[in-house]
Amino acid sequence: MAFLSRTQIVVAVGAVLLALYVLDLVRRRRLSEEYSLLWVIATAVIAVLGFSTPLLVWITDLLGMMGAASTVFAFGLAFAVAMLLYLSIKLSRLGFENHALTRDLALLRHELDEMRARDGGEESK
Amino acid sequence: MTSPARVLVIIPAHNEEDSLPGTLAEVRSKAPGVDILIVDDGSRDGTSRISREHGVPVVRHPVNLGVGGALQTGFRYAVEHGYDIGVQLDADGQHDPSYLGVLLEPVLEGKCDVSIGSRYVTSTGYKAPLNRRLGMLLFSGVVKLACGHTITDTTSGFRAYTRKVMEVCQHDFPKDFPDAPLLITFARNGFRLLEVPVVMRERVAGQSFYTLGKQLYYPYKNLLASLMALIRRPV
Repeated sequence: MAFLSRTQIVVAVGAVLLALYVLDLVRRRRLSEEYSLLWVIATAVIAVLGFSTPLLVWITDLLGMMGAASTVFAFGLAFAVAMLLYLSIKLSRLGFENHALTRDLALLRHELDEMRARDGGEESK
Repeated sequence: MTSPARVLVIIPAHNEEDSLPGTLAEVRSKAPGVDILIVDDGSRDGTSRISREHGVPVVRHPVNLGVGGALQTGFRYAVEHGYDIGVQLDADGQHDPSYLGVLLEPVLEGKCDVSIGSRYVTSTGYKAPLNRRLGMLLFSGVVKLACGHTITDTTSGFRAYTRKVMEVCQHDFPKDFPDAPLLITFARNGFRLLEVPVVMRERVAGQSFYTLGKQLYYPYKNLLASLMALIRRPV
């Protein structure tokens, strides 16, 4: 651990704090378990890379990266892209469902109004 | 024909309180045999109130979904209420109801599943601006890939649909603009499209669905949606 650079420590501590915050959000039901998974995995990977210099160096060599710091950022960026794409997909689906629900609601509302008009007409006598 | 077909005129309306009374009166006088449905697409004005005052059933979206969503709601209503044919007609007075007969004829005779009231089949005096003409050329080309023959007026919102078409639209429908992507979806589902010549007028009041802000986004979105409709397998 003696050869941990300052950058590594900052990144790793940041990742651990973020992971704790994500778990706390799940505990308070502000974030669903489904979404937390990607976050927890990503922060764990970044933290491990940050703390373990031999692993980081090995992966850096394996990928042919110019420096160890680039490897950490590359992983972070890959995660950000994955998360954004995932959110876009979710958002599209939400929009689609919302669209369908709106149409259904409108038709049901119309039917309800018609039924009320019919019933009201009979009862008011 | 043994018994007369039940026809529902579906009028998608978004903030159309100014033009709606005229349109409703005209449909009633020129096509007395058809029923009318207003789909109020989240209007903030008196569109729904005016429809009710005229004794026309109105289905109201709580938020604005766009003309495609309004049309889909209309189709669902038509299918649930046992109509044989649905006609899409603009609220703004662009579409002359005296052409309803021309539009309905090929559908009633079984010559096609969707008939499209077109401004361009024969010379009807309509002259579009250049950017619009280029877009039309592009999209009628894409539609031709799907259905094998040319549809010149892909953006026409004056169409008649058979019940079968309206049923398929319940689960296979492109979002937003119901033009080229929708026509391609029809063709991919094996429906036959036919254009009939109509004369369209200037809109009386209100605002077009095709606003300025959408002019850049529209070609991109529509082209992508069209290409996707081409390669997507029909359901």
